[in-house]
Amino acid sequence: MDVLIVSILFALLGAIIFTLIGLVSGTDETAIMVPLTLLVILLGAPPEAVLSFFMAAVLSKHLTHAIPTALMGIPGDTLAVPLIDHASTLRRLGVPHVALRKMLAGGVIGAMIALPTAVLFGQFLGQFADFFKSASGLIFTLAAVLIAYFSKGKWVSVLMILPFAFFIASIDLFSFNLVEKHLSISFFLGIAIGPMFSDILVSLSASARKSLLRASAKEYHLAPEVKGWKGFFPNPFAVLTGRQARQTAAASFVSSLTFAFSPVGMTSLMGEIVGSRNKGVYKKATSSLAAMNGVTESTYIAEAIIPLLAFGIPLSPVALGPASPLFNAPPVFTSDPVNNLHNMLTPGEFFLYGLLGLAIASLIAYPFAMNYARAATVFVMKHISQEAIVGMFIGLACLLAFYEAGLVGVMLTCTMAAVGGLLNRVLGVSSGVQFMVFYGSGFMMSQLLGA
Amino acid sequence: MERETVLKGNHADTAKREQQEYIEILGDTVVPSRILLSVIISILFSIGGFFLGKTIFPRLAEAKMVPSYSLLLGIGGSVLALVLCARLFQPSRILRETETSSEGLEEVLLDLQADPQAEYELLEDDPVTRKELEELGILDLFKRSGGG
Repeated sequence: MDVLIVSILFALLGAIIFTLIGLVSGTDETAIMVPLTLLVILLGAPPEAVLSFFMAAVLSKHLTHAIPTALMGIPGDTLAVPLIDHASTLRRLGVPHVALRKMLAGGVIGAMIALPTAVLFGQFLGQFADFFKSASGLIFTLAAVLIAYFSKGKWVSVLMILPFAFFIASIDLFSFNLVEKHLSISFFLGIAIGPMFSDILVSLSASARKSLLRASAKEYHLAPEVKGWKGFFPNPFAVLTGRQARQTAAASFVSSLTFAFSPVGMTSLMGEIVGSRNKGVYKKATSSLAAMNGVTESTYIAEAIIPLLAFGIPLSPVALGPASPLFNAPPVFTSDPVNNLHNMLTPGEFFLYGLLGLAIASLIAYPFAMNYARAATVFVMKHISQEAIVGMFIGLACLLAFYEAGLVGVMLTCTMAAVGGLLNRVLGVSSGVQFMVFYGSGFMMSQLLGA
Repeated sequence: MERETVLKGNHADTAKREQQEYIEILGDTVVPSRILLSVIISILFSIGGFFLGKTIFPRLAEAKMVPSYSLLLGIGGSVLALVLCARLFQPSRILRETETSSEGLEEVLLDLQADPQAEYELLEDDPVTRKELEELGILDLFKRSGGG
């Protein structure tokens, strides 16, 4: 079948699945993007289709995540956390649907600006690719230290880098003895599902469960929704004022270039800057929301595309988390030696198939969120329990680990999930640090212990 | 049979609901026994689907496609598990469909450390924002609280 048609189909698939997932608030990006993207890659989708799928998934998920953020005041995912204050201001003014519309319009504009910026900047940085590839072990180690310091755990995260690398190298060696290949999918799945896995472990522990116990079920307050436009597909430029569109575009452009920084950090920073340039409660909140949601899209897209196009090794928080399968999903993609989308697609193809994914997501998630936000939220809240969702993701992770290495893979994933998850939840060593350490562990152990 | 009791326990029996202990996982509350069952069902279904595929596909497809098809059947299993668990275990979250906030605008503004008078003056010089608020039907609120 023609690659273009396959890519369109995968983009549609990504857009539909992640439009639905986006409605579930509080879902962790890494835990969800990693297994599903891996599936698409392992099922043999061509590289073009993998990129279209990923781009459609990212945009759809972020667009529909605006729904719980605006209508219920709970962050759709971690990236939505900085938007909560402004969204709740508009909720209190009685216009939560305006918050939603401004966020959706900002998101689409941000995505469309980020893609060309990222492709051009990635091409420019590509000149230095040889240096980055040859020094990758050292770069991962330095980056691990940097990311660790900026994670929630601060110094303890830095302190845990070497022991964690030792741990990873050890279980890698043991599993190598058993199955005669180095595993990686099982490692990342373990890191990805770690937080939810450790919550379940804690709930089973007689001594530790107190911290997670709640006397009553969580309450959600859902605001009413008012439709304020005719037709099905509101023009994003009509939803935003001219000034808001310009500020969103500028913030998205700048944040596409800072691909090595944390997306949450950039979102907060850009929100502050735009907020400070707008006076008045209503104007400040709407302008900041549009710009911030634009930045969440642009950082995500740029952080996936720039390192992929320029180096082929994951050198940004997003590339180490949700986008990691695009870099490393053996046997299809590997990052050491580099054999992934970096070698398989030209910059032109990155742009074309990326745009395809973004366009299809905009055609599906954007009108869906604009028109059916409230009805869809009610359906999910009433019918899909958190139990079923968490169960499914742990089931999928076990399936993929089993696919990679049978029972050894499942054991390894559970071990990583337990250790990584507890380090994450208790000490604040974030998944990004853990992924970095995973990539750098070989280098660290060979330098330090001659292993 | 079992499903009926679970549903009943969730919907009707509110007294029991108050005694129920919940744990918080990824930002939402779940019932401990249900989450365990749900994880077990999902793992069994997804790996079960994979094994089923490994047994039946060698007879139906080329050898090199068997792992991919089996993986697909495994995913089918996990989706089936999602549907099954969603039906077995109704959400324990409580949804309140609130009407528009009934707080006075002045209260909201003061809480946000904004001055109603200054807010109103800003709107005077800003026709774009003014028009948006008018269309939303909340311009009058700003007028009343700030314009005197």
